[in-house]
Amino acid sequence: MDQTALLFLVLVAMVVVFTVINPIFFSSAVFANILQDWGPIVLMATAQTLVIVSGGIDLSVGAALGLSGVVSALAMRELTASGQSAWSAMLLGVLVAGAVGLAVGLVNGVLINRVKLVPFIATLCTMGAALGLSLVLTGGTPVAGGPAGSIQFSSKTYLGMFTVPIIVVTVIVVAAGLYLHKTRFGRWTYAIGSNQFAARGAGINVESHLYKIYALSGLLSGLAGMFVYLRLGSGSASSGVGQELSAIAAAVIGGTSLLGGVGRLAGTVIGAFIITGVLSGLIIIGVQANWQRVVIAALIAVAVGAQGLSNESLRAK
Amino acid sequence: MTTAPIYEARNISKNYGSVVALQDVSLHVGAGEVLGLVGDNGAGKSTLVKVLSGVHAPEAGQLLLEGVVRQWDSPHDALELGVETLYQDAGLAPHLSVSANVFLGREVVKPGLLGKLGFLAQKDMDTRAHEGLERVGIAVPASKRSVTQLSGGQRQAVAIGRAVSWARKVLILDEPTNHLGARQAAEVLVAIRAAKAKGLGVILISHTLPHVLEVTDRIVVMRLGKVVADAPTSEFSADSLVKTITGVLDARSGG
Ligand SMILES: Nc1ncnc2c1ncn2[C@@H]1O[C@H](COP(=O)(O)OP(=O)(O)O)[C@@H](O)[C@H]1O
Ligand SMILES: [Mg+2]
Repeated sequence: MDQTALLFLVLVAMVVVFTVINPIFFSSAVFANILQDWGPIVLMATAQTLVIVSGGIDLSVGAALGLSGVVSALAMRELTASGQSAWSAMLLGVLVAGAVGLAVGLVNGVLINRVKLVPFIATLCTMGAALGLSLVLTGGTPVAGGPAGSIQFSSKTYLGMFTVPIIVVTVIVVAAGLYLHKTRFGRWTYAIGSNQFAARGAGINVESHLYKIYALSGLLSGLAGMFVYLRLGSGSASSGVGQELSAIAAAVIGGTSLLGGVGRLAGTVIGAFIITGVLSGLIIIGVQANWQRVVIAALIAVAVGAQGLSNESLRAK
Repeated sequence: MTTAPIYEARNISKNYGSVVALQDVSLHVGAGEVLGLVGDNGAGKSTLVKVLSGVHAPEAGQLLLEGVVRQWDSPHDALELGVETLYQDAGLAPHLSVSANVFLGREVVKPGLLGKLGFLAQKDMDTRAHEGLERVGIAVPASKRSVTQLSGGQRQAVAIGRAVSWARKVLILDEPTNHLGARQAAEVLVAIRAAKAKGLGVILISHTLPHVLEVTDRIVVMRLGKVVADAPTSEFSADSLVKTITGVLDARSGG
């Protein structure tokens, strides 16, 4: 059976199980909440999919989310204090969040291409640096005082569960999917992850492509930072802590291979729904919230294990 | 045969750290000429190929394409000017389809705005990849199949087909008949002759000496990073070629 269809069945089964245990799960309020959780996760998971398909990994997505959240919160607070309108402050917030994320991604690119660090170490370094920087900038307290009405704007739902930020995220993810699966950029991303030497031999500029991929990953994480700001009405250094785990989980549950060269964004999108659905569902059926990371870690182990087994059965054929 | 060299390497040296891989190596190939490049494992053949194709920059020496000094910053530069290479160890991108591999780095995009955005003309490439491989005369698997599903020989056939069909001036084949059965190897020799007939300069690296003696016009022998012989194929016998490679017979530095 088609892998995406299989994942979709897993998602449906998950909804059924939680609904049977606690019927409250099956409500537009819960679904709206899951969607809100899904927004930033799917942005980072999309970023992660690009990176993992190219044969790398980006551990800095969560920290990039946190840093861009606080820097754009600081910028929006300044602008609001100077008497500018909420709209111009939010526009500035989006631009600053995107730019900060992009900068984190470019640092990853430099560390990988110039300093020749493997992606795991390069992004581990930027993860620590970005988290540290956001703590330095804020002293660990959330930055509020931004544009009035941003929460009302971002939480107003249409059709019971869709908010403007969710619609924007959906458009971005669809565009990224087309980009990954239908364009030359995407083709080269798979080629590099599949066999970097062959890609180089075919005349592809691998370094410049990797810059673009990590920059894009940072940009998407930065936008996730703005999403979280709009949802909470403040920017906090801790808002991204541990989120890289969820992003990686969504990608690998969706079928992206950590060995590179394999993955579909549709799978990642469903994977992100599975992650956020499971986390919400566990809370609704009364599991303590502190179990969340344990559950995500277990899901990664199961997904990667299943990939390994299905690879072996393919090879055995 | 005496043709002006289409591609020439002069006094090339290349080290890997403290390992001297190439030392003052010169060779040339003419248009419509097949040059055999032989030598024991570790002689420096593949390193020379990577210098010729732009993967490695040499520490010293010059490359001349059609008499013009060229410096390759990357394989892209050499490909652009018609120097096509089949690497011994690069192979294909296994997760991509046959046609995606054939068009790798040279993707065809859709017309108009979509093309400007980089959208691929996939059907067009599928058809053209199939035609291209068929024209080369090598048994071709279907364009849409993923390379993971091909046998070693089929993969090699696709890689050779890609190199042969894109080559415009120079075709460099580093051990192309590895992994191939007798029939496929014979097809490769036919493809090499066809490339020669088209006026390409062909450099063939192979350990299968009967093939080398059969299909080449001239043979360069390398040992320990140096050229130790460069002479028309007619001057070699199977026996003398083996002896030159192993060093029993020395100093045949082509007349
Ligand atoms: N990437 C590399 N790094 C270090 N040494 C290398 C590398 N590639 C080849 N060599 C060394 O350079 C020499 C020539 O190797 P190579 O060009 O592959 O020879 P051949 O193709 O004739 O077998 C050998 O001593 C080999 O060990
Ligand atoms: Mg070799």
